[in-house]
Amino acid sequence: MKVGIMSFAHMHAFTYAGLLLAHPDVELTAIWDDDFERGDNAAERFKSTFYADREEFLALDLDAVVICSENSRHRDLVVQAAEAGKHILCEKPIATEIEDAREMIAACKRNGVILQIAFPVRFAPSISRARTIIQSGQLGDILAVKATNHGQMPGGWFVEEPLSGGGAATDHIVHVMDIIRWTLQTEVKDVYAELDTRFYDIDVEDCGTVSLALESGAIATIDPSWSRPKTFPMWGDVTLEFVGTKGTLSVDALKQSSTYFNDQESKVQNLGWGDDMDQGLIDDFVQCVKIKREPSITGEDGLRTLEVVKAAYQSSTAKRTVPLERVHV
Amino acid sequence: MKVAVVGLGTMGKVHADAWAHIEHAELVGVCDLDRVKAETIAESYDATPYQDLSEMLEQSNVDVIDVCLPTYLHKENVALAAQAGKHVVCEKPLGLNVQDAQDIISVCEDHGVQLFVAQVVRFFPEYAQASAKVKSGGIGKPGVVRLTRGGGFPRAWEDWYADEAKSGRLILDSMIHDFDWLRWTFGDVERVMTRRVSRSDEDRPLEYALVTLRMEDGTIAHVEGTWAHATFHTSFELTGDKGMVVHDSAVSAPLSVSLHHNEGDASKNGVAVPESPLNENPYLRELKHFAHCILTGSEPIVTAYDALKAVEISQAALESAKTGQPVVLAKMGGGVR
Repeated sequence: MKVGIMSFAHMHAFTYAGLLLAHPDVELTAIWDDDFERGDNAAERFKSTFYADREEFLALDLDAVVICSENSRHRDLVVQAAEAGKHILCEKPIATEIEDAREMIAACKRNGVILQIAFPVRFAPSISRARTIIQSGQLGDILAVKATNHGQMPGGWFVEEPLSGGGAATDHIVHVMDIIRWTLQTEVKDVYAELDTRFYDIDVEDCGTVSLALESGAIATIDPSWSRPKTFPMWGDVTLEFVGTKGTLSVDALKQSSTYFNDQESKVQNLGWGDDMDQGLIDDFVQCVKIKREPSITGEDGLRTLEVVKAAYQSSTAKRTVPLERVHV
Repeated sequence: MKVAVVGLGTMGKVHADAWAHIEHAELVGVCDLDRVKAETIAESYDATPYQDLSEMLEQSNVDVIDVCLPTYLHKENVALAAQAGKHVVCEKPLGLNVQDAQDIISVCEDHGVQLFVAQVVRFFPEYAQASAKVKSGGIGKPGVVRLTRGGGFPRAWEDWYADEAKSGRLILDSMIHDFDWLRWTFGDVERVMTRRVSRSDEDRPLEYALVTLRMEDGTIAHVEGTWAHATFHTSFELTGDKGMVVHDSAVSAPLSVSLHHNEGDASKNGVAVPESPLNENPYLRELKHFAHCILTGSEPIVTAYDALKAVEISQAALESAKTGQPVVLAKMGGGVR
C-alpha cells in the first residue's frame, strides 16, 4: 500500500517514517510539508518524494496518510485528506478545539475513510497486559487510578499556544487519559485541575495535576508535568497505578531498561529494551487500512481525551470542579 | 523528668519503649483499660500499671503525660492531665477538628503546661533532609510535589479507625502527616481538593484518597493516601526548576531478609521482609527532642499551633471530599487565622 506523510513538524514523524519505510506492505511514496527544507530533507532521508504543493500531494494515489503537523493544523489537513479519500493516522492530540475534532470525525465518516489517533501507549505490552488483568476482574472493582505522564519541556512550537493549543496539559493528559478510558471502559464525570507555569519562562503551562471523577464511581489523577530535570535518565515516564477492591496494580510503560553510567558524557542514562510501542501503532494502522476494519483508536477516542484537556483548563481558571459535557458525534 | 504513657495500643507501646531509652526521662507509669496489657508493659520497663488516668495522675507524681489514646479521646484526657499541672505529649492528630484542637491548646495554656504533638514525620530523617534541601534552594523554585503514604486498613481497639467520627479516618489520621510536612516545607495552604473512595466491606474495608493542594507560595502538591494496599510504604517526588528529590521506602530499605521456609505458612516462603534500621528510630528522636524542650524551655521543631494547622488542612480535605469542590482554607468555617 502507498502511504504519505503530511508534515514533519512533530518529531514522531521521523519515527513513523522509519517504521513505514521498513514495513513490508508499505511504500512511503510521498511527503508533503509546509516547511520546504524540512520536507525535502525528510524525503531524501526516507527515500521518498517531496511535494511542496498540497493539492498535488493529495491528488496522488495514496491509500493513507500520516499527519504530524502542529496540533492546531490537524483539522485542515485531516479534512482535506479525508476529502481526497485517504485513510488517516493523526498524531495526538486530535485537535486543539472540540469543534475541530468534531469536524474531523464528521469529514472522515462522510468520506468513508479511517481516522486513527496516535496513542502508541496502548501498544506497550505492559499496558495491554495490565488492561487484560484488570478486565479479568482479578483486582475486583477498580476504585482509583493514579497516573503520570511526565516529560521534559519540548520547546519549539509546543510552547506556542496558537500552534500547540497549550502546554503540558495539552501534550500529556491525553495519553494516560486514553489508557484509563480504554482499560476501565468508562467516561469522565467531572474535572478539577491545578495548572501553572513554574519551571520555564514560557507562555504556556508547564506543570500541574488533574483530578477526575469517573462515571464508574472511580476517581483518578493525572500528572502531565514537564517536570523531568535535565539530568533525568530518560525523556519522561508513563505510569499508572490501579486500586481495586481485591488488589492493586502498578504499571510503568518504560521500566524495561538498563542503567547506563556513561562517563563519556558524564551522565546516567536508562537504556530502554522493551518493545517499541510506535512499531505496534504503525503495524496496527497498516493492518487496519489493509483489511478496512474499524480503527483500534478512533476519532472519538481522541475527542473524549481532548474534552478532558479542555475541562482541565476551564477548571484551572475557574478554580472549581467542572462537569464534563460530552459533545455528540 | 518522670513520664507516664496513657493508651497502650501500637503507638503507646512504641512511645513507652522510647521513653525508657531517654537518659533524662524515667517511665514511671503506663495506663490502659486493659489491665493485663498495662501490667505486662509496666513489668518490662519497671513502671507502675494503671487502668485509670485520674488515678495515675493522683498517685504517680509524674511530670509529663504522653497521650496515645484514639483521637476522639484526646480532648478529655489532655484536659485531665493539664488540670493536674502535667506537661502533655499528645499523639497526632491533635484533635478531631479545628475546634477540638483549639480547645486542647487552650486548656494547656490555661493551666500553664506545655503541649507537644507527635507529628513524627518531621523526625524521619528522609523527610527532614528533603525539607531542608527544598528550603535551602536545592530544587530551585518548586513545581509539583507528590507524596504517598499508606498500606492496609488499620485494625485496632473497638475498630475505632473505621469510625470517621472517632478517627477522621484516612485523611485526618494518616494524610495529616504529609499535610504537616508540606506546610513545614512550603508554608501555608491556599486550597485543597479531595477525591476519595471507600468500601466498608466487613472482611476487607478500604479507603483511598487523592488530594491536590495549592500552597500559598504557588507549589502544587499531590498527596496519595491509602488504606487499600497490601504493604505499608511511603514515597515522595519533589520537583523544581533546578532539580528533583525522590524517595521511595520500598527502594531505600538497606536490608532485606528472605527465608526459604516460613514454618506453618508455606505461602510466605521466600517473601522478602525489608528493614531500614537506624541507631535512633524517629519516635525516639521525636520524644528525645520533646524531653529536651521540656527541660530547657526551647521551642520544638513542631509546635502545637503547627499541629492545629495540620488538623485544619485535614478538615478542609475532608470537607472537599464531601462536596467534590476545592476548599479555600481562608474561607473555611471554624478556621484559624
